Parts: sequence; C-alpha cells; structure tokens
Amino acid sequence: MQSYFWVILHGSLLTVGVSLLALLVSVLFGLAGAAAKLSGKPVLVGLATLYSTIIRGIPDLVLMLLVFYGGTIGINTLLEKMGSEATVDIDPFMAGVLTIGFIYGAYMTETFRGAILSIPKGQMEAAWAFGMSRFQTFIRITLPQMVRYALPGFTNNWLVLIKATALVSLIGLQEMTYLAKQASAATRSPFIFFMFTGALFLIYTSVSLFVLKKINARYSLGTKRGQL
Amino acid sequence: MKKILLAAAITAMCATAFAAGKDLKVAIDATYEPFTFKTADGKPTGFDVDIANALCEEIKRTCVFVEQPWDGMIPGLLAKKYDVIISSMSITADRLKQVDFTDKYYNTPSRVVLKKDVKYTGPESIKGKKIGVLKASTQEKYALGELKTKGVEVVSYDAQDQVYLDIKAGRLDGTVADILEVGGGFLSKPGGEAYELKGDELYIPKYFGGGAGVALRKGQGELKTQISAAIKAIRANGKYKTINDKYFKFDVYGK
Repeated sequence: MQSYFWVILHGSLLTVGVSLLALLVSVLFGLAGAAAKLSGKPVLVGLATLYSTIIRGIPDLVLMLLVFYGGTIGINTLLEKMGSEATVDIDPFMAGVLTIGFIYGAYMTETFRGAILSIPKGQMEAAWAFGMSRFQTFIRITLPQMVRYALPGFTNNWLVLIKATALVSLIGLQEMTYLAKQASAATRSPFIFFMFTGALFLIYTSVSLFVLKKINARYSLGTKRGQL
Repeated sequence: MKKILLAAAITAMCATAFAAGKDLKVAIDATYEPFTFKTADGKPTGFDVDIANALCEEIKRTCVFVEQPWDGMIPGLLAKKYDVIISSMSITADRLKQVDFTDKYYNTPSRVVLKKDVKYTGPESIKGKKIGVLKASTQEKYALGELKTKGVEVVSYDAQDQVYLDIKAGRLDGTVADILEVGGGFLSKPGGEAYELKGDELYIPKYFGGGAGVALRKGQGELKTQISAAIKAIRANGKYKTINDKYFKFDVYGK
C-alpha cells in the first residue's frame, strides 16, 4: 500500500512539469493574443477574437480529445491516402503541454488585454515621443506595469490550469490523478489515495499562491494601496 | 512525387512506428482488479494481462502494454496508438460499429444483488425497489430494458464503487453487476455481508453482448484470425486454465 503513495508522489512531478511548461506556452499565446487584439489591424483583431471566443467557449476535455485523437487520426488517414505504411504517434507530453497552453492562452489573452488597457495611454505616447520603438516601449514601459494589473487574473488562470492537468491522463499521460485511480482500483480503497492526491494539489497551489504574492509585492513597489 | 515528399516530411517530424513489426502494442486500462491492475511497483498485471501475454506467445510476437484510460480507449485504437485492446472490453453492437472484435476470451454473467432477506422471483417481485447500475454499462441496458419496465426504479452512477457506497448508505436496495466485480468489490468486503446474488445468471446477448474480446481496428482481418486461433489454442493446451485458476475459482470462459 505504501509504495502506491510513492508512485503517486512521483506522478506529481509530471503534474508540475506539464503545468509549468503549459504556463509558459499560455503566456506566449496570451501576449501574442493581447498584442493582436490591441493592434487595431482588422485581420489580427479578427483572428485573436476568434481564438479567444472559440477556445474559451469549448470545454477543455472536448478540445483535448479533438486535438490529440482528432489530430492523430487525421494525420494517419492522410498518410494512408498517400500510400505510406508509417503511423504517427504524437508525444503525449508535448501534446498535453501544447493543448493546455493553447487553451489557457485564450484566457491569458483577455487578462493581458485588460491589464494593458489599464496603463494610461499617455505613458506609451511619451515613450514614442522619446524615440523608442513599439517593441522597446512594450519591454520597458508596458510590460513592467501590466504585471501588477495582470496578476490577480493571472493567478486565477494559473490555479485553474494546474487543476486542468488532471485531464492529460485522458491522452495517456500518467499524472497523479490517474495514478491515484489505479492505486484505488488495485487496493479497493479509493478515499485514502484521492485525499492524498487532493492534498498534493493543495500544497502545489498554496506554494504557487505564496510565490505570486511575493511577485505582486515586488511589482507593487511605489504604488499606494487603497485604504478605507 | 510531391505526395511522397509530403509523407516523408510528416513522418520525419513525428516519432513513427510500423504496425507490422514484431511488437504487438496492447492497450489496457489498469483500473479493473482482478482483470487489469497495477502492482505497487508499477507493473501491469491481472487476468487480461496474462491472457494477452499467452496470446502474444502463441502468435510469436511480443506484447508491449500501453496504458490508456477507458474514456480514450477506442479513439486511441483508431488513432493507431496501439494495435489491439485487451482490457475486458465487452463485444457489443455499438462498439462493433467502430471497431472489430476477435472471438471472446471470457464471458462472466451478471446477476442481481439484493439483501439476503429479500425474496426475488423475477423482476416483478422487486417492483418499487431502487437499483443502482453503472452508467453506459451492459448492466444498465439490462436494468432499463427488463427491470424499469416492470416498475423497478433504476438509478445510474458514474462508477460501480459509487453504487456500493450508496447501497451502504441505504439509498439503494441493490444492484445488477458482473458476478466477479460484485464479488470482489462488494460481497466480500465489510458492509456487503448482508447481501447476496439473486436469480439466474444473466447472459442475454441483447443486453450483455457476447463476452469480452480483443478489440482491433477494422481491416486488421489477418491479425483477427490469428488471435482468434490463438484463443482456441490456449483453451486447448491448458495455458488458459493455468491463468484462470490463478485468479478465479471457476472457469470464466463462460457459455
């Protein structure tokens, strides 16, 4: 019985790995999406709106199945049509990271867009007046200030993303929820393993919250907090 | 030419596997003790796993087990993640629309389970009682088709374990379940002492299908013939019996 706990603990490393990499992917998608939405160019705005509307409107589970199985079946059928004997096997780890990252990128898009809009436009105009390029303005002026505005929404997205990693078991990755299910099936004592897994998730999210609080404090330097 | 180049490009981008190799990729969902489950050191084991190994030996290939959760079982097969499913999958008409099956390798009956003091002489005798079944299972089909029509209240659950929990909590009067599942998971456990199997063994193919078979993609006719022959062979040469006796007290091959 005890060694099942070790297996689950080991599986938690996969959960951490998938979630951190997916976070990176989602931030990249989010920044790109927010930039596109605020670019004012009709094509980019349209694409970004399509992205955030469709992805946020479809359940994660359905998207995961569509991307992973739909994608593989599609490519394999294509290969068959072309007379190739080979079959394609998408790596579940990468598929999980990319799918979750892609999904949460849509939420990040909205979070970042809101954060950027909260920065007075005059600051960017001033930067342009100093001769900074659009990219320089973004790195030097917009990014450091938007962090503070984006953090509350970002924290929410991150917590939901962590819990969404439980879905990757569906595509064959053995993260801790699936391992807990296996352990409880083998021993027929479900509660103990699911409580253990729940506790692991809670530890992970608590640590995240602590770190994000520190980051928030760092980026709030020099700002007055509202008080009553 | 272009097509070949494109095919080569797609192939190069992804890890590839050739279906006709020596390995036979077998999908299992290791959450169904004693058929497929994992030991504490992470090895797949159980009746299905042993049978799979015996079948592989018979057709001179090596079984490589791929773990796959139940929800993605058939999609994964269609996506060619593995060659066959040997994971207690019942042969049903619905599944036959999407995949192909070999002959069955076991067929255990289901039965009605009720409190010992309840008199059961057929569905009519438990009119008004509440019976819990697993959602989308063969037992649910039977309960809806034979029990509900006779006035029995049928409640569907996401997992068979939840049915047992609700029987213990007094919200249900009983269940319809595979005799092995209910024997190992409920009757022999604390809280199950007051219950027993009632009525006849249920084999009705309309509801229960034709037992568990090896699932494969349509168009794998040659492999299907090989495996069906291998099942016959291990039944004949005693390997099946050895595996059977390791897990069960009676022959699960069934009728």
